[in-house]
Amino acid sequence: MTFLIFKLRVLAIALALMATISVNAQESVPMQALIGQSLRSLQQPTPENFLNCIAQLKRIDAMFPDSIQPKYQSALQCLNFSVMNPHAGQTENLLAEAEQTIAQMEKMKNADQSDICTLRGFLYMVRIVQDPAQNGQRYYLTVMQNYEKALRLNPNNALAQQLQQKFLEGMKQQTN
Amino acid sequence: MLLVALSAKSQTTVTGLVTDGREPLAGANVFIIGTIDGCLTDSLGRFSFETSKQGELTLRVTFIGFDDYTQPLSILSPLTSHPSPLTIRMHERATAIDEVVVTASTYSFGKSDNFKTMDALDVVMSGNSCGDIVAALQTLPGTQKVGENGKLYVRGGESDECQTFVNGMHVLVPYSTNVENNAVRGRFSPFLFKGINFSLGGYGGEYGQALSSVLPMETTDVATGDKLGVSASFVDWNVGGTKAFTKSSLSFNADYTSMGLYNAFFPDRFDWTRPYRKLSGEAQYKADLSSATVLKTYVGYDLTSVGQHVDDRRLSLTEHNIYANATLKTNIGKGYTLFTGIANSTVLNDIDDALTLGDHYHNSRNEVHLKAELRKVFSSVLKLSAGVEDYIRHSTKRYDTSSYSLDYHLLSAHADAQLRLVPKLFLNLSARGEYASYHNDWLLMPRATLSYVPNKRFQLSAMIGRYSQTANDDYIAMSGRQLSQSTADHAILSMQYSDHNTLLRIEPYYKKYHHLPLLGQNGLYTADGYGKSRGVDVFIENHGIVKNLITTFSYSFNDSERFYLDYAEPQTPDFASRHNLRLSLKYAFGKTIIGLSESYASPRHYSVGDTPYYNSVDANVTYLLSPKVIIYTSLNNILGRTNIFRYEADGTAVTATRDRFFYIGIFVSLKNNKAYDISNF
Repeated sequence: MTFLIFKLRVLAIALALMATISVNAQESVPMQALIGQSLRSLQQPTPENFLNCIAQLKRIDAMFPDSIQPKYQSALQCLNFSVMNPHAGQTENLLAEAEQTIAQMEKMKNADQSDICTLRGFLYMVRIVQDPAQNGQRYYLTVMQNYEKALRLNPNNALAQQLQQKFLEGMKQQTN
Repeated sequence: MLLVALSAKSQTTVTGLVTDGREPLAGANVFIIGTIDGCLTDSLGRFSFETSKQGELTLRVTFIGFDDYTQPLSILSPLTSHPSPLTIRMHERATAIDEVVVTASTYSFGKSDNFKTMDALDVVMSGNSCGDIVAALQTLPGTQKVGENGKLYVRGGESDECQTFVNGMHVLVPYSTNVENNAVRGRFSPFLFKGINFSLGGYGGEYGQALSSVLPMETTDVATGDKLGVSASFVDWNVGGTKAFTKSSLSFNADYTSMGLYNAFFPDRFDWTRPYRKLSGEAQYKADLSSATVLKTYVGYDLTSVGQHVDDRRLSLTEHNIYANATLKTNIGKGYTLFTGIANSTVLNDIDDALTLGDHYHNSRNEVHLKAELRKVFSSVLKLSAGVEDYIRHSTKRYDTSSYSLDYHLLSAHADAQLRLVPKLFLNLSARGEYASYHNDWLLMPRATLSYVPNKRFQLSAMIGRYSQTANDDYIAMSGRQLSQSTADHAILSMQYSDHNTLLRIEPYYKKYHHLPLLGQNGLYTADGYGKSRGVDVFIENHGIVKNLITTFSYSFNDSERFYLDYAEPQTPDFASRHNLRLSLKYAFGKTIIGLSESYASPRHYSVGDTPYYNSVDANVTYLLSPKVIIYTSLNNILGRTNIFRYEADGTAVTATRDRFFYIGIFVSLKNNKAYDISNF
């Protein structure tokens, strides 16, 4: 069934801004500073800035391989880029990067399962944006279930709340 | 080319070129480890960045799909260092053993990016399936149209050569029941499952007691939200729901099917004394006991009854079918995964006036399936699994002089090794040993699959293996318990190509059967039967002809011959048709999906003559009425052709109960806001 998804540009910008303040306080100060510095470039969310930011986050991840936060931010920005540029030449690689990074996070003991579910839901949401007719029906429930689980595990997960709300709005536009 | 130069602020500028050996790589991440100094390569693979770091440094280059590249970089002093120029060549990353998915001889349905990712709704909306998994699978190549019972016949094999597993546990009777010459349905709702893997042969050591094919299905995970739903049609009514807890969920489902109303409006060819009725109840409890442990339980009960006038008899059939399983999968540390499971199947059949006026047939069958398996990925080139299982069976039949009571068990052990021999070349070696207690015989069955997977688009596999299955209990009893297990040797070649729009798969195969049950002149069955089956399956799926149109084409050629049961000489089995073809179109626009399919099967061979060919054009429409309501309607055999499925011994033609079947159903979600979540599980 055709699943015309909504415009997510505004959402992506909001996420980018939110990402600048969502660095976990328990992580080391130099790392937070580096991540913050990297994310600040997204105040102008051009494709080039996104790609450079993601590359920087990967470098920070290499500096702090046992930390969750660079991985989380890296996966999130890969998805943000992809949702805004669903058919760009780099998108498939970035989605593969995001999927790989989420899989790495799942293996880490201190990973926040709510965050992981949110990223998984976002990943499938991007797949719907890429091909609404084919993937809307296929991934709709997966998206919903991941957001529901994320919020069940952490009702205050703001990113999950926003993404779920946006997704439901898109659903209403399509089905009403 | 790597050049290191000096900048005015004691910054060293690092520049160079990254390639894959042939082409420049654009977008590679080049940086100095331990810093954020770096950049992405441009469209020509060039990079240039500044760093203030000095000393013995390490340069790293990363790019998705390639091995990370590292190299020492010596910058002793920005004023004095003059490193030699370098060209950086990245090497494509070899697929790890747990990443490769060999698709040969298997069609997978579920949530993945692969083709043929049919989920529950696809099953519901598939051609003439009316929500039946078994009917939906018959759209695939390798399956044959056997309209008089509707079961799965795979690559020239009997229907009971295909075995069903739920969460790895065996289901003794996966079909509902009906009177003779009436199509049955799969007993499981497609909405129970998140993944369905239909293997048409060449499967690994985990699965046994299946000569031709296996149908493993994985139930959905712990539900994340509460649900309540109802559905209704002319023939079935359903209510179900789920209560989700923090780390577990409890689901129930109740279904009542009756052909009474439909028969009243659209009479068929049969004289029913009691319309087909089925009352079903199911429950599931699933729990994430910890982040590493998942418990899944399922219990289902079906009560079926139907009565029919046959000649001067008033045939009356009743069946109770109970199936329950519980599985526990846990990560026990050091990369080991332990799976344990138990399943119980109990099926009771009673038939009055079964063959003669006033007779009574009773059959009870019970199977307990126990299973344990240990799995571990040892490295990127080796994955191992090993397990043991036991099938404990009891069956009783009471009918005139052919009554019996049978107890036996089938003990087995298996080991599977998956190896990456060299990059892109994978070998799966497995062995399965089985012991049948009623005959005291052991079987050892080696199996191997060699796969060449050069990229995500292309796969080439060769499979070979031996498979076994006990004959059904009637034959074992009628052999004086001397009937050894039947075996089948599979040899399969598989080629698959896929791109963004198209999937093409071609699979030639050859099967040789040994020790099939054969009725001797003394009235006892022996294991002297044999047979062979060979053919080729072709499958094409395309998403690109017209936007929002999915086209699938499947064709099977089969040439099989058997000498078994009461055959006087080797012959093509009467269930086998040489050519089976299916073409289907699915088009989505707005809130509507339209499906159209054409099915053809060539004539089947009987001693009284060949049947005419089978042909059916089916259509269905799905409409999303509101976010919570879906309407589905289908019409089978639009052209109204009277298809003759088979001939009785006296030459009587067996046809469908009615030429056309019209279905309209409404599915309503009462509790949540999910348009597609019409499932109650």
